[in-house]
Amino acid sequence: MSGEQETVDLEGLVSKALEGINYSISREKGYVEVSVPLESLREAALRLKNAGFDHVKSLTIVDYIKKGEFKAMYIVSSYLSEELSGGLIALSTTVKRDKAKLPSLSDVWISLLFQEREVYEMFGIEFEGHPDLRLLLLAPHIAELKPLRKEFIVKEEPIIRKPK
Amino acid sequence: MSLLQLLLDIVFYPPIFQVLVVGLIVSLIIVVITIWFERKAAARVQRRLGPYHVSPQLGGLLQPLADLVRYAFQEPIIPRTVDAAIFVVAPVVAAVLSIIPLGAVPFTSNPAYWPIPMENSLLIALALSTVAPLFIVLTGWASNNKFAVIGGVREAFMITAYELIAIVAMLAPAATLSTFNMVDIVEAQASLTWFILLNPLAFIAAFLAVVMSTSGFPYEIPESENEVVAGPYSEYSGILYGVNMGANYLRRFALSILIAILFLGGWLPVQPGDGLVAGYLIPTIVVLAKALIVMLVASFLRAVYARFRLDQALEGAWKYVFPLALIGLGLGIIENLLL
Amino acid sequence: MKDPEAREEPSSGAKIGLPGFKVRKIEEEVYEVFIGPQHPGSGHMRLITRIDGDVIVDIDPDIGYVHRTMEKLAEGREYIKNIPLFERMAIHDACNVTVPYVRAVEKLLGVDPPPRAKYLRSLLCEINRIAAHLYGFGIMGIFIGHSTMYMWSFGDREVFIDLAERLTGARQTHSYPVFGGVKRDMPQGFPEMARKAVRYMRKRLPEYEKIFFENPVVRDRLEGVGVIPRQVAAELGLVGPTARGSSIKYDARLAEGYDAYPELDFEIPVYTEGDSLARTYVKIEEIKQSLNIIEQCVSWLETREREAPMHPKFWEKSPPLWKKVYQETGRIKLLPIFASLKVPPGRAVARGETARGEIIYYVESDGSTKPYRVRIVSPSFRNLPVFKYIVPGHRVMDLPAIYGSIDYFPPEADR
Repeated sequence: MSGEQETVDLEGLVSKALEGINYSISREKGYVEVSVPLESLREAALRLKNAGFDHVKSLTIVDYIKKGEFKAMYIVSSYLSEELSGGLIALSTTVKRDKAKLPSLSDVWISLLFQEREVYEMFGIEFEGHPDLRLLLLAPHIAELKPLRKEFIVKEEPIIRKPK
Repeated sequence: MSLLQLLLDIVFYPPIFQVLVVGLIVSLIIVVITIWFERKAAARVQRRLGPYHVSPQLGGLLQPLADLVRYAFQEPIIPRTVDAAIFVVAPVVAAVLSIIPLGAVPFTSNPAYWPIPMENSLLIALALSTVAPLFIVLTGWASNNKFAVIGGVREAFMITAYELIAIVAMLAPAATLSTFNMVDIVEAQASLTWFILLNPLAFIAAFLAVVMSTSGFPYEIPESENEVVAGPYSEYSGILYGVNMGANYLRRFALSILIAILFLGGWLPVQPGDGLVAGYLIPTIVVLAKALIVMLVASFLRAVYARFRLDQALEGAWKYVFPLALIGLGLGIIENLLL
Repeated sequence: MKDPEAREEPSSGAKIGLPGFKVRKIEEEVYEVFIGPQHPGSGHMRLITRIDGDVIVDIDPDIGYVHRTMEKLAEGREYIKNIPLFERMAIHDACNVTVPYVRAVEKLLGVDPPPRAKYLRSLLCEINRIAAHLYGFGIMGIFIGHSTMYMWSFGDREVFIDLAERLTGARQTHSYPVFGGVKRDMPQGFPEMARKAVRYMRKRLPEYEKIFFENPVVRDRLEGVGVIPRQVAAELGLVGPTARGSSIKYDARLAEGYDAYPELDFEIPVYTEGDSLARTYVKIEEIKQSLNIIEQCVSWLETREREAPMHPKFWEKSPPLWKKVYQETGRIKLLPIFASLKVPPGRAVARGETARGEIIYYVESDGSTKPYRVRIVSPSFRNLPVFKYIVPGHRVMDLPAIYGSIDYFPPEADR
């Protein structure tokens, strides 16, 4: 692909940081995905933070409705260390759709504070330990529909309304 | 007949004539010219045309009049939450009080056309000029709106900052000549030289005080749009808003005339003679022209400067401009000893 | 008559217990002011500001007034139709905002645009960047009461909008980059026009500095206001000129190295002060760098032969007549193949540097014509913590100065 610059060996770095944690690593297009179980998410986040990944670029939730689970991806990178900033690491975990609860990592990465609020209203995923879990973008009656879940279908109005 | 005579007597009673005719009618013309110039000059700096479509032959000069007519016919909304009596009365009182100082200002040395005896005219004019701003604070308070209250409080801060400066700086000529008679002050400038050269420090301080008192840039703080909407005037609409806006210009006009008299030689170089034309009309036009120049310079600052922060403006006023005014006063006293 | 307070029950969707909308107690001496959404200085957002005297003690940014749920809308549209949708985030920065999405889909498709298309993209991106920075200067100027800066920069922005119009045919929402290339080549006489614009802007920048940036009043308003230390900027995850003003040397053009940027010669301006003035100077320097890049791009483009604007995978399927017309005029219709483009399954992340900072897209495909999931995090959304963490402690009149200097743009933050 076009000029992906990776000056450091991200896999090596992750394996050193996450020593002792059960994780799997895969190289995707444009980022490196590190999957951990839900229990060790917080521990992994802390260790990645200490390894120099100082901010979260995106908290991405993907709704796999057929598998009945959400995948949460914390796409992290570094500002303070210039060689790390070229790569993206997606710390990911899965959570069951019917028990949609995640530990809040906003005390690890402050940059998550508003993104967790956004995910909360869009998917109805609760973040335990979030200091200020309120709606951010949506009005309450829209947020109750949990618009980004896959069972919510956008009804598009036809351009020409059919006569009754 | 006697009723007409009575009315004429009232209108031509000198202090009332000066406030009504010079104050209201002439100042309306001056304000129109100032607003037009303010917008046109800013437009020239900003590479625009400015007002144009109302009276293209005059370069859009009548646009402020058109705005005034528009304000006059707009519905004046008085919100249910305001203190209605004060809400309506305060801007009107502020506008009237803004031009009251003109009742003590001489436009000529011919005693037939003085509004009042001139012995202490400077003190009277300065005292009268300090009344109007209180009512602006009152408009903010009566509006029962958070932005209006913040704006009103800012106005109050600004009053405390500039009023002393204005008075101290404008007393400097009086200190030099040992008189509060504005006619004597002007006549003395004929023999010496204008006070802008005799005492430039006091002039600068007085000019800054004028800009501050009328919320001109860079001191456009009480009604700073991006924090407090329109400051004390947030709840106003229609003609009441127009009156509020006009009151600021009227105040600037009154203070500019004081500056023209005290520092710019008043009606000089014209020597008033006898009769209405030579004794009153021509000197008055000269004074008004000088005041207009002061107003236009103050307006032009808008195109150049941003607005100060409130604390910076107050700091500047108390730390730099007030000492400047004091030094100006001291300079006036030293000159008195030398003369 | 229906009670307006009673909210209608939602027609579908299960209820979840939302612990939102908590009631807060207001201390007696604190003044709570709602700045926005209908306020001349707020933009499409509300800042619930609490003021003690003249000092802001707390800000709760309440955004979402221009939220369109683009992430959901994108799931119901074909890939190509999402490009004009995402442009609506920041219409004056349209190319910068859509290029990362296009690149993410290109990663899934496994195509790489031809070099000419890359240069054309970078050219438009830099034109957009200058126009967006000028827009930001204008807003900042009027925020601190400098109407001349507002009028000047909005007037000069027209130069670059015209330039973009000549290149793409649209003033703002260009929809210029498409998967595997761009929509058209640059027209006849474009390099001269671009160089003229560059010369003009180089002449104007010193005049800006004279009236605005070197103006003592403006410096008083901006210097030392809204200082963000480097460590704090990194913790908050700030982006763009806001981060670079706090001595974080990060630019997605450098970190990701997309399009023609690895071959172009430019610098990333970084300031160490971290205050509003530093953020503003970063933008000025970026305009200078963008002018250099535009010159380099047009020089590269005019010395090369006109080649296909798209990856051969798509270009070979276009009718011969279209190819002929393209060779003569440089213009082409959008290829019909894009209407029902199936993207192989996979996941891709791409980031790009818009005028306001880094934008990041996550695109997941399940092999159909529509994306399974698109996640967008826009730069203004990531700069939102500035209001909550940096502004408190400043005076009320500093709020517009900080707001203007981080160039927060609500439609982009709300998506």
